[in-house]
Amino acid sequence: MLQTIFYGLTIGGILYIISIGLSLTFGAMGIVNFSHGLIYAIGAYTIYAVMAKMGINFILGAVIAVLVSIPFSYIIEKYVIRRLYGESIDYAIIATYAVLLIGVDAIKWIWGASPLPISDPVGISIQFLTMEMPLYRLIIIGLTLLILIGLSLFFKKTIIGKIIIAGLGDREAVRGLGIRLDKYFAIIFILGSALAALGGVLYSPISTLHPYMGFHILILCFAVVIVGGMGNLRGTAIAAFSLGLVMAITGRIWGPAAEAMVYVVMAFVLMIRPIET
Amino acid sequence: MADTILLAKGVTKRFDGLTAVHNVTYEVKAGETAGIIGPNGAGKSTFFNLLTGFFIPDEGQIFYLGEEITRTPSYERVNRGIVRTFQLVSVFDTMTVLENMMLSRIRQGRDYRSKRRFFFKSVYHPDLVDECLQALDTLGIADKADIKTSDLSYGEKRELEIVIALSLNPKVLLLDEPFAGLSPIEIGHISRVVQQLSGKFAILIVEHKISKLVELVERLCVLNEGTLVCSGTPGKVICDPQVRECYWGKEETA
Ligand SMILES: Nc1ncnc2c1ncn2[C@@H]1O[C@H](COP(=O)(O)OP(=O)(O)O)[C@@H](O)[C@H]1O
Ligand SMILES: [Mg+2]
Repeated sequence: MLQTIFYGLTIGGILYIISIGLSLTFGAMGIVNFSHGLIYAIGAYTIYAVMAKMGINFILGAVIAVLVSIPFSYIIEKYVIRRLYGESIDYAIIATYAVLLIGVDAIKWIWGASPLPISDPVGISIQFLTMEMPLYRLIIIGLTLLILIGLSLFFKKTIIGKIIIAGLGDREAVRGLGIRLDKYFAIIFILGSALAALGGVLYSPISTLHPYMGFHILILCFAVVIVGGMGNLRGTAIAAFSLGLVMAITGRIWGPAAEAMVYVVMAFVLMIRPIET
Repeated sequence: MADTILLAKGVTKRFDGLTAVHNVTYEVKAGETAGIIGPNGAGKSTFFNLLTGFFIPDEGQIFYLGEEITRTPSYERVNRGIVRTFQLVSVFDTMTVLENMMLSRIRQGRDYRSKRRFFFKSVYHPDLVDECLQALDTLGIADKADIKTSDLSYGEKRELEIVIALSLNPKVLLLDEPFAGLSPIEIGHISRVVQQLSGKFAILIVEHKISKLVELVERLCVLNEGTLVCSGTPGKVICDPQVRECYWGKEETA
């Protein structure tokens, strides 16, 4: 059981890292951003490329993968997202979905459609009481906690953080203060995307790479964002870890139901949560 | 003769077939305190949104200090001196009073954020904190600096919103129903604040109820169903038969 919880926390951590960007984009800009899944896949495929083809080690590869994702998210922000401010949500869904589809085809074209494995970059397990814990998963949990603390300090202490928090509450009022909110949203969009790429890097040794991995994670992360509340940072963290645990525990009882259970929880939360206006 | 500071020329704004503001021409002169009244749904807030850049008019133009600003983004208008408050008080509830204040100062204090450390620049710069406390003190609410804004009364929030607006150095201050939802005591308080500010810069107040404006403004206009119907001194406007017809019945019941 302890091991299941431990696995759940790993998955929850990764879900958290990927969901923050999605949650902020939705909460702050009112945009449902499917292209987030593409950035995640870019992170994963880049680490594969630099490790398998160039023989670079995992840590340096992770840094490269996150850096590689930045020009992509910059372009997506500048040519797609920025044009969607104030448009209806359907446009945002269609436009960012198109970006994701283009990306999936590009991945198939470059790397082919078959799944690619990445081996555990640490390869050591730690003996704890009666169970074996892969050190890699421990590192993921640690890293997630660092990101969690770093982000909460960022949003509490820095000027950009304060502006974003204010913008999450009331966009118009921030503009009424003479602050050019779009610029700050762009910064936060790229930060959130870089975290998605990092999530792709971290998740790839635990699962396998395939062109549709972006779709797959996106649906889980939407569940996290919906359960946690759009644009709610603390809620996103709590929802990510809870749903990670739900997946791990359900998976232990009956494997195929693991992800379905996530949506059951999501539906339940939607049902009991009071409707906000 | 006073100079025109803000001018709307034949502005129209439609929402899916509904014309919220129809061919309105209106000017605000430098240093004057002017008012617009009109029943709910008359288009007052929409007109404000046109002046401040939150909406772009479908027709007509807007000028500020002689320059056309019809399509200038709202944040830039604020930086040039067109500052507003909102009908529903707009302060950031999850933050403290001081933090709310800081957000308004960030824009001016360019040296608070050296480019080098822009990304991680702390909001708690001692100079910035001092400045904000001083600004809060002008309305005697410096002691509330560390209180979460959500714990303030509605009237206190309105005061805070006005302090914030003032710290943006307005050349023209637009107040959208500043008395809505306030108790008579709070209304008196805000009225006095407005009276003290009168003459320092142009003020345009939009109100639903005529009585609150009569003593505050030098010039009053009536907006009804998106059209300006009458304009003049408050005394004259109150007596205008057209105004009585379209407006008076709804007045003073609330
Ligand atoms: N964003 C909007 N979308 C659609 N209709 C709107 C919008 N804002 C205002 N309206 C409509 O325009 C009319 C004028 O509204 P408003 O300017 O808020 O009036 P007032 O401030 O005088 O009460 C109303 O009929 C209102 O329903
Ligand atoms: Mg209004």
